[in-house]
Amino acid sequence: MAAALEIVRPSPAEADRPAIEVGHLTKAFYDSEGDRVTVAVSDVSFSVASGEFVCIVGPSGCGKTTVLRILADLEQKLSGTVKLHSATPPAMVFQETSVLPWLTVSENIAFPLSLKGVSGAEQEKRVRDLLALTGLTDFARARPHQLSGGMKQRVSVARALVDDRDILLMDEPFGSLDEQTRLVLQQELLRIWETTGKTVVFITHSVDEALTLADRVLVMSPRPGTLVADLEVPFERPRDVVEMRRDKRFWDLTYKVWRLLASPARA
Amino acid sequence: MSAVPVTLTEDELRRLKAPARRERLFRLASYFSPLLLLLLWELSSQLNLSDRRFFPAPSAIAQTAWRMVLSFELFDHIGATLRRVGVGYAMGAVPGIVMGLILGLSRPVRRVLGPIFSALYPVPKIAILPLILLVFGVGDASKFVVIAIGVFFLMLYNTMSGVMQTPQIYMDVAKNAGATRLQTFRRIAFPAALPSIFTGLKLAAGSSYIIIAAAEFLGARSGIGFFIWASWQTFAVSRMFVGIVVISAMGYLTILALEALERRFVPWAKH
Ligand SMILES: Nc1ncnc2c1ncn2[C@@H]1O[C@H](COP(=O)(O)OP(=O)(O)O)[C@@H](O)[C@H]1O
Ligand SMILES: [Mg+2]
Repeated sequence: MAAALEIVRPSPAEADRPAIEVGHLTKAFYDSEGDRVTVAVSDVSFSVASGEFVCIVGPSGCGKTTVLRILADLEQKLSGTVKLHSATPPAMVFQETSVLPWLTVSENIAFPLSLKGVSGAEQEKRVRDLLALTGLTDFARARPHQLSGGMKQRVSVARALVDDRDILLMDEPFGSLDEQTRLVLQQELLRIWETTGKTVVFITHSVDEALTLADRVLVMSPRPGTLVADLEVPFERPRDVVEMRRDKRFWDLTYKVWRLLASPARA
Repeated sequence: MSAVPVTLTEDELRRLKAPARRERLFRLASYFSPLLLLLLWELSSQLNLSDRRFFPAPSAIAQTAWRMVLSFELFDHIGATLRRVGVGYAMGAVPGIVMGLILGLSRPVRRVLGPIFSALYPVPKIAILPLILLVFGVGDASKFVVIAIGVFFLMLYNTMSGVMQTPQIYMDVAKNAGATRLQTFRRIAFPAALPSIFTGLKLAAGSSYIIIAAAEFLGARSGIGFFIWASWQTFAVSRMFVGIVVISAMGYLTILALEALERRFVPWAKH
């Protein structure tokens, strides 16, 4: 299959080029049986700096997943430009359950490494670290059907981290979790991001989650999805996902984003 | 005993447990209903309500079976049938699974080769037995081939549908993880299709015994099918029934063995 994306290896001179550049991206789906065209994403442009944590928020069906799948080369764009400046292809954490049911937790996490012929000892070491990081050590040999939804999502996150790619694409990874588990995983994710310096694009329909995690929040309108705002999130790092809720600016920003989502036309 | 919350009355408890009690009763009954059939058969035979020449009493069949066990006369036939089924089954299953994986994964191959298989599949395997005997002779080779053909198609279709029903998300995971085509084949398509493959293996085992029985009726000097046919020709009806019971038991045990393998190799599927 022809690579639809251009992956450019950064040279020192280009070190501060954005990691991701999306220009006038449009994507539509055609249903030949009903002869219907659905414009999922319309004329979206944004860029993400290397090492930046960007959240995309928007109502469901506005094309968030579509944008991410195009970045991951799992979907072909209709028009526009998509450029990734990265030494490695992006790693994806999918919205739905994506652990492979025939593999144990450890084998799931090691999956990308096992495809590349990394030595068994090296795989074991990486997996052990990630099991510890995601709190799954006691479940290393468990099979997915023995895990709760939250644990499966941790496995997906660990798998996306295992071969240490530069860009991490996360599609509502905590969307189906209870608030408590979500808070714990958000804190873990921030800690991982702060120590690895990865570029992260994180999709969520939760304004709260976006403000908790991101350096910048991109707000999308209902379908056909377009960008209606690009907001800086000014909180200092490292963040405490609970404590930052005492900050008045958090609620001011929450209000601002909700205004945009409620009436995108007035943005 | 499970702990009983003090807030439930005796009556509530009784009603709560009633369905489970009924379920136990039904399960007990299900063990005995086949025995009941045997008992009715025995009675009607003893009382001359049925023709004993065609339906000898189960007790008479059991006696015949016991004599045959003591004289070792059946074991060679069992061995011959098992060998034919075993070899033919393997000859059909392996290529069937491989072709099923290829057709399931590759749309172009499916579009081109699919119609050929669809056209050949409905041909009754027994109908081409004379042709196969002509080509492969009356020895074991012809039995291997006719079983292999039957097994091949069942495995092909079950494997193919298993691969085609693989959730897209697993393919996406493989692609994002950087899997090559061959890796996607081995690490994703095959395990995803395993539950369907086992369904196919069980169906194929059943149909192998049907095919071998018919094949041995006509073109063999050994095997349980031959034994049934020879017993019929000499009007040894009790012996014929022993043959029928033996080949049924072989089929049943084969499927039990496959189910044990399935639990071992597909531990993630619901059983
Ligand atoms: N493979 C597809 N075929 C047809 N329509 C699709 C497909 N994927 C997404 N869509 C449509 O595109 C729109 C955006 O979908 P999606 O990107 O999944 O939204 P979101 O992730 O924001 O909820 C929806 O209307 C959806 O129905
Ligand atoms: Mg989505």
